Amino acid sequence: MPGSRSKAPALLRLSARVLLPVVLVYGASPGWTAGSASPAVARFVEETETAGLQSRFEGEDEFMVGGGVAVFDCDDDGLPEIYVTGGVNKAKFYRNRSTRGGPLKLQEQRSGLELTNAIGAYPLDIDGDGNMDLVVLRVGEVEVFRGLGQCKFERANELWNIHTGNNWHTAFSATWERGQSWPTLAFGTYYDRSRPDFPWGTCTPGILLRPEPTRGRFAAPEPLSPGYCALSMLFSDWNRSGEASLRVSNDREYYKGGQEQLWKIQPGKPATAYTADEGWKRLQIWGMGIASHDIDGDGFPEVFLTSMADNKFQKLSGDGSRPVYVDEAYKRGITAHRPYIGGDIHPSTAWHAQFADVNNDGWSDLFIVKGNVSTMPDFAIQDPNNLLLGQPEGNFVEAGSQSGVASFRRGRGGMLADLNGDGLLDMVVVNRWEKAQLWRNLGSGKAAAPAPLGHWLQLRLRQTGGNRDAVGAWVEVQTGERVQREELTVGGGHASGHLGWMHFGLGEAAQARVRVQWPGSGWSDWVAADADGFYMLDRQSGLRSWSAP
Amino acid sequence: MRQPKRLHRLRHAIRFAAHAGAALLVAALAVLTPARAQTDSAGELAPPAGAYSAGVAYEWFYLVSQLLQQTPGNSPPVAARTLGYLGLTLYEAVAPGMPGYQSLAGQLNELSSLPWAQPNEPLHWPTVANASMATMTRMMFSNASAENKGRIDLLERSLPLKYPDDFDPAKVTADITNRSETFGKLMAMAIMTWARTDGGHEAWGPLRRNRANYVPPSGPGSWSATPSKYLPPLLSWWGEVRPFVLKSAAECAPPPHPPYAEETDSAFYRAAKEVFDISNAATQEQRQFALYWADDPGKTPTPAGHWSYIANDLLRAQKADLGRAAATHALLNMAMSDAFVAVWAAKYRYNLIRPVTYIQLFIDSNWVTPLFTTPNFPEYPSGHSVQSSTAAGILEQQFGKDLKFVDNTHNDRGWGPRTFPSFSAAANEASISRMYAGIHFRFGSEGGQALGRCVAERVLELRLRP
Repeated sequence: MPGSRSKAPALLRLSARVLLPVVLVYGASPGWTAGSASPAVARFVEETETAGLQSRFEGEDEFMVGGGVAVFDCDDDGLPEIYVTGGVNKAKFYRNRSTRGGPLKLQEQRSGLELTNAIGAYPLDIDGDGNMDLVVLRVGEVEVFRGLGQCKFERANELWNIHTGNNWHTAFSATWERGQSWPTLAFGTYYDRSRPDFPWGTCTPGILLRPEPTRGRFAAPEPLSPGYCALSMLFSDWNRSGEASLRVSNDREYYKGGQEQLWKIQPGKPATAYTADEGWKRLQIWGMGIASHDIDGDGFPEVFLTSMADNKFQKLSGDGSRPVYVDEAYKRGITAHRPYIGGDIHPSTAWHAQFADVNNDGWSDLFIVKGNVSTMPDFAIQDPNNLLLGQPEGNFVEAGSQSGVASFRRGRGGMLADLNGDGLLDMVVVNRWEKAQLWRNLGSGKAAAPAPLGHWLQLRLRQTGGNRDAVGAWVEVQTGERVQREELTVGGGHASGHLGWMHFGLGEAAQARVRVQWPGSGWSDWVAADADGFYMLDRQSGLRSWSAP
Repeated sequence: MRQPKRLHRLRHAIRFAAHAGAALLVAALAVLTPARAQTDSAGELAPPAGAYSAGVAYEWFYLVSQLLQQTPGNSPPVAARTLGYLGLTLYEAVAPGMPGYQSLAGQLNELSSLPWAQPNEPLHWPTVANASMATMTRMMFSNASAENKGRIDLLERSLPLKYPDDFDPAKVTADITNRSETFGKLMAMAIMTWARTDGGHEAWGPLRRNRANYVPPSGPGSWSATPSKYLPPLLSWWGEVRPFVLKSAAECAPPPHPPYAEETDSAFYRAAKEVFDISNAATQEQRQFALYWADDPGKTPTPAGHWSYIANDLLRAQKADLGRAAATHALLNMAMSDAFVAVWAAKYRYNLIRPVTYIQLFIDSNWVTPLFTTPNFPEYPSGHSVQSSTAAGILEQQFGKDLKFVDNTHNDRGWGPRTFPSFSAAANEASISRMYAGIHFRFGSEGGQALGRCVAERVLELRLRP
């Protein structure tokens, strides 16, 4: 294990070693043999009230899914703002007023993003003007907002010719197809809103919006049909071909003959779903969220799919010529199929999922937001969120309780992001019928004195042309012999998006080497970067350190 | 004490595998779909489903046979569908505890995958079966009377007391019971998500408004409403319901019937005259056969329920284990449901006139069926012939071709027990009894038998083992 552990207090390490086996016995027993050492546990403190986060996601039937949050920096101070959807309540924009390294502080602010029926949100710079834009998924028309700078936004549906109709929009992802300066947007929908009396089998198609950049707008929607009640979608270059495909996770509860989907998106051609003949194996789950990361270092991203009890961790089998996946959730100890504390023995309901390194040990962890759909008696009501810590062997151990993030509220969306610029990933969770929650990552310290667990670095990519944030790029960070690899994506999770600093835990390493495979291009040269800093990596001018203004 | 030799061999195999490479075994468990013996974290082997009696299955299907009779809306096709999903639920719930067996997901239409038990969390299969059947029964009979809903609850609670050997509290911890209940419920819910989209779920009263009214075609030889109540045609769209196994209803079709004709020297006329003559001069035995296989909804468990009862009884008599019972109930009941889909598609495609209508038009205008009224749907082919032949085909494979058996289905009505020399003998009697009753032509019964055998053959192609 990298050296974050050497910096952790001895007491903490001891407690982690003592407590983790207890949790393992009580909770979901993994199917692997435990590693020789337990990972360091990051401590979180809830700062919902003190930070000023006052949002509730509410609503009845049409708001049983969704409840997303978007995290993005719109004032260029390096600290991301938060936009929290509220269902029938007003969605709120919070300016990040946190002190670097200090307690979290949010300030609700009028931004032009205030609206109702919002259930999910994803940031991206659509028009390439350097200002972050925002896609808001809604029960009803999707609303797209153009960033004006300094966290002001204006509706851009008409300007950009985005007309999604009045469906129930539940999923989103974006990619820049080869040669395009504007993104291709994909939207997933749930069941037919006009059929609440008998919704089964009424899933509506998704849509694909391709750009007409010369006209500064999007072309007419292309159908993603059949639609199977998508609750998450993610453009990802799953086989490293240089071309992203669209993975869609669908809810078996309502579709007829549906399955998980992988759409082939090729420039100038209609989207086509991968078939069994091409190696795609049919899978039916209550699909709700997607997390993607190269966990095992083979160069291909693994995919975690949330569901009701039968969560999947899919690893690509073979050389990437065919989309053949095998499930390794059990093998890696991340079935997360029932609560690990609280005494509720019913199956879990998992929503948002995200891979990120919360303890900066260099191994990606898995964050899962859990919560009963409503009051379904056969599923856990006391369903704590998971924080599964990654280990060098590729396995995970549950640490949600020790970390202090095992909320029992009805979680939906969420996000891990460094909200106070201290290199430690903080956590926000949106809950149905209850207040959203915010936790500050203290590392190995306490609220009054946070302490690092390991080294880290954070990176933003920049390039000219439309895709300024280089969505679709792959970043490699090398420390010693180990290479971490991350794809910059927009989409996935559950109704929740983040675009900003890419975070890498470095463990003991005080320095790392970084390189980028820019979208549609080869790998850049390696460049050295000192740990514990923020960097801008520009495609033309290279790496430079970034300091807060 | 109850551990069979197979279990002993499994235990030995697991120990060997543990020595040979526990990690490899664990990886295989996670990747492979077929059931393997479950072990807990200490490597202790959990008894497989085959180590328990079929008591749980028997009790649930026994109760279901009564619920089918007493719950509104369970016309024969609907009842067969209900049984099909219950049979599948039982099988899928315990399949992870049946070493060497696999889920049927991937082989059934539009069902690709189902939740699977965690290999390292031992489950108690009678509890899994009880929870899954209770959950599915509640969902399939959501319109049951309050009294019958109470019977469902009572059965779920009382089974552990009724079968103390299977539910030995000294061997089943609270944790295992809890886990088993949640897995059983989860399986039932997953299958219900699939069931709701088969097109048959809309048969329930309040949902029928989603269906456009059916207007029967007219013309010579076409079916028209029959005396005495002249009811509208029953579930005209049932042939479009998604089958479990058949790729479509058309995969098994009856041979064409004799061309419709009104001339007295035509084959069609002769067939009608045969019905007229036989039903008018039926022997006491023939009349008893007709009544025995009437299997009217509301009075009996319907045709599918009748055969399900026979199988359930036989499994109990043969002291079958839970795994075998699950496999039999799944195959039999899914097959009978598919048989009803196939025959309903044929009935409304042929839309053939019933004997009573023809006879009144061309032979005897005052004739009525002597024993019971003609069911309110087209004649060709005979539904009971189809599903009895299907059932016989499945049960022959499960129990043996020439098994002599006792049918106790109608004992409570005073019509049994009856002993049959074989399943096919019973099916043939059921088939021809429809002609004795005056509701089918002979060719309707024979065409139905051909269709029914086809359905059985297709269902028996399912691979319960990889």
